[in-house]
Amino acid sequence: MSGSDRPLVLVVGIGNSDRGDDGVGPAVARRLRGWVPPGVSVLERGGDALALIEDWEGVPSVIVVDAVAPITEPGRIHRLDLTRNPLPVAFALPSTHAFGLAETVELGRSLGRLPKFVIAYLVEGAQFETGAPLSPAVAVAVEEAVERIILALSAIPRTPQAEGTARHA
Amino acid sequence: MANRTIRVDYIARVEGESSLELHVRNGAVDAVRLSIFEPPRFFEALLRGRGYEEVLDIVARICGICPIAYQMSGVHAVENALGIKVDPPIRALRRLFYCGEWIQSHALHIVMLHAPDFLGYPDAIAMAREHGDAVERALALKKRGNELIRLLGGREIHPINVRIGGFYRVPSRAELAPVAEALKHARDQAIDTLRWAAGFPFPECVRDYEFVALRHPDEYPMNEGRIVSSAGLDIAAADYETEFIERQVPHSTALHSVMKQRGTYLVGPMARYALNRDRLPAEIRALADEVGLEPVCRNPFRSILVRALEVVYTCDEALRLIAAYEPPARSFIPPELRAAVGHACTEAPRGILYHRYNLDRGGTILEARLVPPTAQNQSVIEEDVRDLANAALDLEDEALQARCEQSIRNHDPCISCAAHFLKLQVHRE
Repeated sequence: MSGSDRPLVLVVGIGNSDRGDDGVGPAVARRLRGWVPPGVSVLERGGDALALIEDWEGVPSVIVVDAVAPITEPGRIHRLDLTRNPLPVAFALPSTHAFGLAETVELGRSLGRLPKFVIAYLVEGAQFETGAPLSPAVAVAVEEAVERIILALSAIPRTPQAEGTARHA
Repeated sequence: MANRTIRVDYIARVEGESSLELHVRNGAVDAVRLSIFEPPRFFEALLRGRGYEEVLDIVARICGICPIAYQMSGVHAVENALGIKVDPPIRALRRLFYCGEWIQSHALHIVMLHAPDFLGYPDAIAMAREHGDAVERALALKKRGNELIRLLGGREIHPINVRIGGFYRVPSRAELAPVAEALKHARDQAIDTLRWAAGFPFPECVRDYEFVALRHPDEYPMNEGRIVSSAGLDIAAADYETEFIERQVPHSTALHSVMKQRGTYLVGPMARYALNRDRLPAEIRALADEVGLEPVCRNPFRSILVRALEVVYTCDEALRLIAAYEPPARSFIPPELRAAVGHACTEAPRGILYHRYNLDRGGTILEARLVPPTAQNQSVIEEDVRDLANAALDLEDEALQARCEQSIRNHDPCISCAAHFLKLQVHRE
């Protein structure tokens, strides 16, 4: 898929809904469906972050939503611009899979296949137990993340020509 | 420096969580422990009491890299119990399904996990800056494999379309046509990957493995065949547990498998190729010759070449299967339940995967036994590390550690799979 059928913005919720707060990314993606403006696609991704490199091919702006290990307080949202800088080590959630978000972004950068703008919304989780639901603080953070992303999306111009001048997400 | 301890707390570029400890005493390796600390998930116990029709959804969850292997061993074992012989087009579709997994799993391991070892990079990200073409080829191959899996399995990870007796839905020829077009290009990329890997510097190493793999009368093995070995073993899958046993070791949450008669053995691409090279088409054998891959390869570092050759073969095989495909009149055979025991062994990308199910007459699972390839290779991996380390003790710790880690990655261990089979023992005093 390439060219005019590609969205201007792709929002990807990364995580496993069966592992407690790791499901925050998919939860945000599901809440966003039906609320995003034209030209914006929403996607859920499980364990295989490497697939992101194909997902964002030809897409100028990407917003990723993922869980991170507890740092300060559960449910706190960190917005990071990965366009020019790698994901800080403190935000890398240990994964049993070889390629997580941090590695995939850096691989995309090495290959020259990173979108023009990559913004990450990272939500601090409290627990990642098998089969557990979202913890209360993270469930609240889902709503906050959705509001912030919708607001950010409304600031992005709807034409590819104007895209270069946009103030992004 | 007669006494040394090399400890790798977290082995990178393998699937799952494991560590390695190497103790050197008086100038010789004293102990090697590949510790798998991934939490066990008790799948065998979890299957007990569930219906036969739930097997495929449950076992697909064991692994995100090789769920098709679990579904293929599971479906064939249950069908073996119920006396089902599927129609030829279904059999062909399952082989095509497996091709998708071999392509994506091997492509990931060859380029993203294993190649950086040979070229002196810490990871594929650093390697991509100078070997971008190779990484792009791997990503493209992985995508082609995933497309096949998605078409036949309904989705890429933990597929949902296989059922006992066949598939829920079979594809049309029109749906397979674009996949075939893409696979033609993928075949060229697979050949380029093989030739690229053939140029790597390979450490000198010869290991005296007993190879164990499936062998089929006509085909390079995937879903069917007898279990054979380079030392003369030749048994049906139903006899697996009379020849092989699993034992628990204190330092690992995964069981170690050994042959009752001769101990450790190797499964996986090297074993498959050594025992089945004559089942490969002439053009694939010619490619092996061209890149200098010997008919029986005993250097584990060169396993990367066998994987690369198998990717070319599976692209070819997938194209052959798609060209010959005629949609079946029925997508599945309805099972007739009976109390029975079923066994199956199939070739996962990492080697033979054995399943057994004991069903009651209503189709409820009374007992399940699953033996993944990495559990079978754990003892060999430890022996490899011991031998290689003994021969390389003059290296500084950092270099010795790197060599040990590389030797583990030679076998593409899937730690998550291996860790799902702990038998819990409670000692009370």
